[in-house]
Amino acid sequence: MAEEIKTELSAEEIWTEEAGEKRSIGVIHIVITALLIGIGFVVGAFGSISFPLGFGVNFFWTGIVVQQVGAIWFGAWGVIAGAIFPFFSNAIAGTPFYVSLAYLPANAIQAFLPAWAFRRFKLDPRMKSGKDYLFLFLAMVVSSIIGALWSVLVVLKGFNLLTADSVPLFIWGWFGGNVVAGVVFNFILLRALSAVVIRTTAFVKKWWA
Amino acid sequence: MNKTLLGYVPNESPIYAVHPFVKLFFLLIVSLFPMFVTAPDWNIGLMFVIIIFMWISRVNMKTLKIYVPVAISMGTIIFISYTVLGGTHPEFELLARVWGINFYWERVRDALVVYFRILPMIFTMVFFLSTSRERDIIVAMRSVKVPFVITYVFAMALRSAGMVLEDFQIVRQAEQARGFDPTGKSLPYKIRQYVMYMIPLFALSLRRSEEFTNALVARGYAFTGEFSKVKRADYILTHYSYKYFDYIFIALIGIAFIALLIFRYGFGYFLVEQSWLMRILHGAVS
Repeated sequence: MAEEIKTELSAEEIWTEEAGEKRSIGVIHIVITALLIGIGFVVGAFGSISFPLGFGVNFFWTGIVVQQVGAIWFGAWGVIAGAIFPFFSNAIAGTPFYVSLAYLPANAIQAFLPAWAFRRFKLDPRMKSGKDYLFLFLAMVVSSIIGALWSVLVVLKGFNLLTADSVPLFIWGWFGGNVVAGVVFNFILLRALSAVVIRTTAFVKKWWA
Repeated sequence: MNKTLLGYVPNESPIYAVHPFVKLFFLLIVSLFPMFVTAPDWNIGLMFVIIIFMWISRVNMKTLKIYVPVAISMGTIIFISYTVLGGTHPEFELLARVWGINFYWERVRDALVVYFRILPMIFTMVFFLSTSRERDIIVAMRSVKVPFVITYVFAMALRSAGMVLEDFQIVRQAEQARGFDPTGKSLPYKIRQYVMYMIPLFALSLRRSEEFTNALVARGYAFTGEFSKVKRADYILTHYSYKYFDYIFIALIGIAFIALLIFRYGFGYFLVEQSWLMRILHGAVS
């Protein structure tokens, strides 16, 4: 009997190049970056307009999904898109140009950390085990803490927009708004679409290809 | 009518006589003005100037309605954060004490200063978005020699944002056709249902990425390797040229910024202590 064809990839195999496999940056990665910026623009603006706290900080920021899921699937391209699109979505939602620009490192970190965790610990983006859920949740929490601290303590305080007493409110607003939206959407989206995405040419195993 | 990033502007609008780079330059430089001005009088003046520009540009002011809740919520949050969350400061002038919360003049003043610094920045952004088409942003970027690949990604991103919005409408209508009606439902329910939009939106975009890529490859586009080094004609730039008044506008914006810095740091102007509006308000509430 012919050898059974293996159809199910393990978490390890998802992130590992097969023997003889050559991966390179292609037009599709540039396109994916642009499309993620486009989706994030719309989805992020929805959160920014619907649940505003002020200065681009929201109680429920749906853009986090594009930022984190995009980076898990598409590596550095997702991180680039995740760092750039809030600039557009915040602009539409009425955040000043230079404040949005200063948020860039926070958004880049929020996109980078979950993507790094999946690659470093060889987690399964199809969310097959408790470890996948736990590590993603931790990555979401840690990245949102860093993002909140940067945005509020460095950006908003730097621009002299907040008093010291209102800092905790904005830190909690940023952190909670990201983590709650992430918990609602990230797991479901990864479970629903990862099985398809990992088989596309756009999927990024390392960071660039 | 021309579809801009935030609405529609008539073809005959004088704003289209101005080179797109001038609009971008206006956004980049004028957004900086309120950072150096603490007196609300000047910032309110700047808002009026921008509103006049919008009126001259024949921007449909109704599109600005979406910013009313943003302005109100932002104002409320700023006010609360400076007063209710402002702490106890015996050194400040107490205006009122309501339910154990102290309202100090210095805190109210600072809240107003911050609010009127933010508003003109938002107005500048709204002016740019409501008068700029996707094409204008691309032309502005190309005219300052931003690399082709970056411009192309921005162009595609702006284009795909429009497509995502269309997809969103299609998915929503498809769900409504199947009997989905969120009217009167709770917020958590609506949020849960929002997931039903996200999955098809992502799936459609992934499929579209393949179509986009095939179309680009078929046209010979490459962003890396030998083919990317082929010099392409900047067709879109041939439709735009700088006129004498573009240079005048650029110079005026630049000079206004330099003058602002000189007056602010050389002569101590634009400070809140010199604000006649604040003096009137202080007299009224004291």
